[in-house]
Amino acid sequence: MFCSKKKSLEVERIVKANDREHNEKFQYADNCIHTSKYNILTFLPINLFEQFQRVANAYFLFLLILQLIPEISSLTWFTTMVPLVLVITMTAVKDATDDYFRHKSDNQVNNRLSEVLIDSKLQNEKWMNVKVGDIVKLENNQFVAADLLLLSSSEPHGLCYIETAELDGETNLKVRHALSVTSELGADISRLAKFDGTVVCEAPNNKLDKFTGVLSWKDSKHSLNNEKIILRGCILRNTSWCFGMVIFAGPDTKLMQNSGKTKFKRTSIDRLMNTLVLWIFGFLVCMGVILAIGNSIWENQVGDKFRTFLFWNEGEKNSVFSGFLTFWSYIIILNTVVPISLYVSMEVIRLGHSYFINWDRKMYYPEKATPAEARTTTLNEELGQIEYIFSDKTGTLTENIMTFKKCSINGKIYGEADDGMGQKTDMTKKNEPVDFAVNPQADRTCQFSDHRLMESIKLGDSKVYEFLRVLALCHTVMSEENSAGQLIYQVQSPDEGALVTAARNLGFIFKSRTSETITIEELGTLVTYQLLAFLDFNNIRKRMSVIVRNPEGQIKLYSKGADTILFEKLHPSNEDLLTLTTDHLSEFAGEGLRTLAIAYRDLDDKYFKEWHKMLEDANTLIDERDERVAGLYEEIERDLMLLGATAVEDKLQEGVIETVTNLSLANIKIWVLTGDKQETAINIGYACNMLTDDMNDVFIISGNTAVEVREELRKAKENLFEQNRSFSNGHVVFEKQQLELDSVVEETITGDYALIINGHSLTVYDQWFITLFNIVYTSLPVLAMGIFDQDVDDQNSMDYPQLYEPGQLNLLFNKRKFFICMAHGIYTSLALFFIPYGAFYNVAGDDGQHVADYQSFAVTMATSLVIVVSVQIALDTSYWTVINHVFIWGSVATYFSILFTMHSNGIFGIFPNQFPFVGNARHSLAQKCIWLVILLTTVASVMPVVAFRFLKVDLCPALSDQIRRRQKAQKKAKPSRSRRPQTRRSSSRRSGYAFAHQEGYGELITSGKNMRAKNPPPTPGLEKTLYNSTSWIENLCKKTTDTVSSFSLDKTVKL
Amino acid sequence: MKKASQICQSKLPDNTALKQQQLPAYRLQLSATGVLSGFFATGAFCLGVGIILILSAKSIKEIEIKYTKICANCAELREDAINFDKECTCSIPFYLSETMQGNVYLYYKLYGFYQNLYRYILSRSNSQLVGTDLKDVGNCAPFSKSHNGTPIAPCGAIANSIFNDTIILSYNLNSSIHMEVPMLRSGITWWTDKYVKFRNPTAINLSSAFTGTAKPPFWSKSVYELDLEDTENNGFLNDDFIVWMRTAAFPTFKKLYRRLNRVQYFIEGLPAGNYSFNITYNFPVTRFKGEKSVVLSTLTWSGGSSLFLGLAYTVTGAVTWLAAFSMMAIHLMLKEKRTLFIER
Repeated sequence: MFCSKKKSLEVERIVKANDREHNEKFQYADNCIHTSKYNILTFLPINLFEQFQRVANAYFLFLLILQLIPEISSLTWFTTMVPLVLVITMTAVKDATDDYFRHKSDNQVNNRLSEVLIDSKLQNEKWMNVKVGDIVKLENNQFVAADLLLLSSSEPHGLCYIETAELDGETNLKVRHALSVTSELGADISRLAKFDGTVVCEAPNNKLDKFTGVLSWKDSKHSLNNEKIILRGCILRNTSWCFGMVIFAGPDTKLMQNSGKTKFKRTSIDRLMNTLVLWIFGFLVCMGVILAIGNSIWENQVGDKFRTFLFWNEGEKNSVFSGFLTFWSYIIILNTVVPISLYVSMEVIRLGHSYFINWDRKMYYPEKATPAEARTTTLNEELGQIEYIFSDKTGTLTENIMTFKKCSINGKIYGEADDGMGQKTDMTKKNEPVDFAVNPQADRTCQFSDHRLMESIKLGDSKVYEFLRVLALCHTVMSEENSAGQLIYQVQSPDEGALVTAARNLGFIFKSRTSETITIEELGTLVTYQLLAFLDFNNIRKRMSVIVRNPEGQIKLYSKGADTILFEKLHPSNEDLLTLTTDHLSEFAGEGLRTLAIAYRDLDDKYFKEWHKMLEDANTLIDERDERVAGLYEEIERDLMLLGATAVEDKLQEGVIETVTNLSLANIKIWVLTGDKQETAINIGYACNMLTDDMNDVFIISGNTAVEVREELRKAKENLFEQNRSFSNGHVVFEKQQLELDSVVEETITGDYALIINGHSLTVYDQWFITLFNIVYTSLPVLAMGIFDQDVDDQNSMDYPQLYEPGQLNLLFNKRKFFICMAHGIYTSLALFFIPYGAFYNVAGDDGQHVADYQSFAVTMATSLVIVVSVQIALDTSYWTVINHVFIWGSVATYFSILFTMHSNGIFGIFPNQFPFVGNARHSLAQKCIWLVILLTTVASVMPVVAFRFLKVDLCPALSDQIRRRQKAQKKAKPSRSRRPQTRRSSSRRSGYAFAHQEGYGELITSGKNMRAKNPPPTPGLEKTLYNSTSWIENLCKKTTDTVSSFSLDKTVKL
Repeated sequence: MKKASQICQSKLPDNTALKQQQLPAYRLQLSATGVLSGFFATGAFCLGVGIILILSAKSIKEIEIKYTKICANCAELREDAINFDKECTCSIPFYLSETMQGNVYLYYKLYGFYQNLYRYILSRSNSQLVGTDLKDVGNCAPFSKSHNGTPIAPCGAIANSIFNDTIILSYNLNSSIHMEVPMLRSGITWWTDKYVKFRNPTAINLSSAFTGTAKPPFWSKSVYELDLEDTENNGFLNDDFIVWMRTAAFPTFKKLYRRLNRVQYFIEGLPAGNYSFNITYNFPVTRFKGEKSVVLSTLTWSGGSSLFLGLAYTVTGAVTWLAAFSMMAIHLMLKEKRTLFIER
């Protein structure tokens, strides 16, 4: 249940495999984790301590302490106690449930089983009992239990594949591979049990991509790096088993080291509120001082004589001391001036909003069955103030699904039909996908609709064959047969997958490969090509080629790559075809497709042999190897014969174009961060309307140039990534809520002020009234308004993204607004005090009795206040739902029922000292003049507000006002609303080379490293090319992180 | 696929009006006609009420006589607490030029007496006053216990400082016949005060009920012998005491003392003529520079209203109309100029 926790500063970690006693000396943490904060005993003290660290609660506590001092206690303790206890209990319950679930998940994780080598036997052991130094066996698709040093795996060369989605969010598989000395151990339990290597490595840290250490075993030392480590939280993929030695366990794992305290995020409203609360507090202190001075003067002038007559003790005669006490008394009385309850209300409103976000069917994504999820409630209203969106490209803007759309083979375009533009109408069967039924191995997910291509294939067009052959041969895809005997492709770049799948569907099926052969099925016949050389892709070459010998003995070089690069390498005889293809490419690019040029070359046997020899020589070189190899590649990839070009669609996510258009209309600037090539990025930018032709300034920040820029961008991305999850369709809702929250803030402040400023003179109100005012009488309608109000309906807020701007500019809640509110509050409170004051002065009731007694005055003012505040909220509620009705009318009704209850005989009979207002409501509210006063007060406080609001709408209407007006007119005129027509982009931009490739896979193929054991083992002859067995993986990693290039745009919306 | 669609179903948020924020709702819109007509109506209403209130306030007959200066010798005597047992009476003749029609009420009025002082207000014990626990003197400091430690009943500063002048109004029918104007003591308190909030402790008689308690230090008589004529009007149920205990909100206040018993000469009210107040002057006010007065007043439908409420209504009504007119002017002026952003 509970894990032991030890902390000592660790400089270096020394772990010996299979030796628990040895490792125990160091007292390393075991594999038990606890993310929970409390247990039953510590809950109360720790939770209370945490809660009182919050300013609001501390303030309440301070007040409570002040109130316990009888000399200055001006309000009874329960005025503070009740809300404080309420808030603290609610928070505590929430914390407790949160922690309970944390305990549950901890238990679940700690009790997961994994196979551990104990006493030379594999035994099932709970995760929490796994110790540092243990050897653990992992199976496919299992979670990794701790940070392991990979020893051996089922794959050749000790390779294993892991998915690190839990750690860094990247879904592509990563390769790890064991040291060759340990990978020899294989699955031999007895040998593994005897393994007694010692690892000396860095102390636990949170760097996910760094590891340094040394393994000493059998008198030799092997250096260890990150490539040999499997981190906790990863999932083993495509590897049936692997063994690893636990290096870091439990809280020391990199995953746990990274899960630090969640930083509390504050919204700008929060910050503004904090500032304002500070000001208010200052204001409160000033008021206290002024009133205390006033009190001293009064005591000196009047009270001095008065109290000798009345009752004051001699000791308290000092007017200065009395003033000092008064100061504290006023701090207590006026405490409601500090809108602490506002924080609570805001929390509740945010919670309500996050439920609405979660419930919104319009933000439900049916494909993945995921509703929107507000992970944090604290930032909801910030969604209405977004100025910049930092977006990922892949997976956010694009689906990362590549589909083979079109191709140009030998000057002919295929695959025109599904464009839908109606330009080319020479299709006989429009929009009907090609029936691949003839081909049982076709992948049904890919649809390509052009029957002419099928016909060309049937007719035996050699160029078409050659084109498809390139697609089927020149790639780095790995094939695999699943249990059902279906062919599965493992692709490292989705573009390639699309091309190979297209070839497969058209009858050229890539079946399998070894390190020196590629087998494809050409229209039903199996053909095995000998793979002679693999000219891998890299960022400079922007192309890839294979040199194969076909069964007829011809040697061919098949190449695909960026058109710009490949076209320079063509044989002069291709000129006509080149111009035609270039036209086609422009056309493809105009549609936002990613293009590749396809070419081949027939090679002479003798020439190739010479070249191959040179290549082998070059590979053995130590200096200048890369340059020499590159030169040789360059040398052979020339005089190419152009076959055509492919066009692959990088499918945009649904609704991206509309969303981006809306966002830019809403004046939200969008930054896209992507690891793609610049061309791809720009291409996508155009495709999703982010960039348009009339845009003047396109900034592209390339991270390679300045490390700082990159760091900054990366940080920004991390921070904002979370919020952009519900990217499309989301902003409508945010819009609404922002507006609501602001008005709530306003309202509550006004309400508070009305109460507060009245508090001066004396505690005019019934103490119970003060206690309940914020909680019961006025908070519910405010909350209802905050949660349910919609100033503009969703359709209209969709249609007018400009509505978003006031939120960005903080027009709805800012300091100016706050002061207006405050002035309004002061006005209201003056009206609330002086109208009853004037009216009651020297007045008798209709039964001749005195009505200006303190209690009646309090009841009158409280009633006026509740009515004024309710009317005010009613005016601010622009969207009256049943709930608003219930809450607004309900709170007025509640006020009266509570009033009558508290002033009833029964409750007085039980607690005569606590409820001295007996009979008051009954008596006062039966007086005509009291109702006249209440009415006048209401009119006087509400009318100016209505007038100002009316003039504001009339003189300078905000967009939302106009839309509301129109909305109303529309409702009268016609119920149907038409949506804005979607703008379809038409761009003349030339598409760039788009090839989401990584370097290094070619080598992996030729080395045969990633081949399954069932494949023929690599021949020793090719082993020579393995010049440095680790460099390619390092290259891979370098490349993925290096190319953080991004572009942004900043455009003004012309209205 | 089927499985997936089932999951979809379960995760898809419910299509209820509440969850989809589609609750049927009414949109409140401040339309120009609505606002302006509302303003005009409110203005008219306020003006109307204001005028009625002013007129009815004018119809009230009221006489107020400040008697601190008139009874200066008594006031001087009361300056010194040593003379507390010396009686001092004071007669104030006055002439009523017009008949006071209908019910007439007699008030005493204090100036500069801060009955709304915070600690003064608290200095009482409701549980003692309700008769359940005479010894409960919780908040009454510094008037909770007498010197020898017995609890004071009624305890507290409010009770201690009770207004203890006696006011008798006499009507001088002619120079020889002086008759005391019949006054009622009943009905000057709230029903709840008299029957719920204040109860005497139960015992055979009052004096035994109050044994073990001391009288407040400023009082000359014990609480159970406040009214020697009417035994029911003693203890905590003494009407004058109850009226005093309902503390005033402002330092200047009037409290109902008696009301006219409309019999004999006084069936119609107080006839015009010569009157005099005979006051037993006990309550010292000069020490805190206060003043006291007696007030005779009639009532109207809304009570004994002052001009303030009527004036306030009238002013509010006028301002509302003014605002309505200027708003209308602005609105009409802008109507032509305004072209909506949307329609542009």
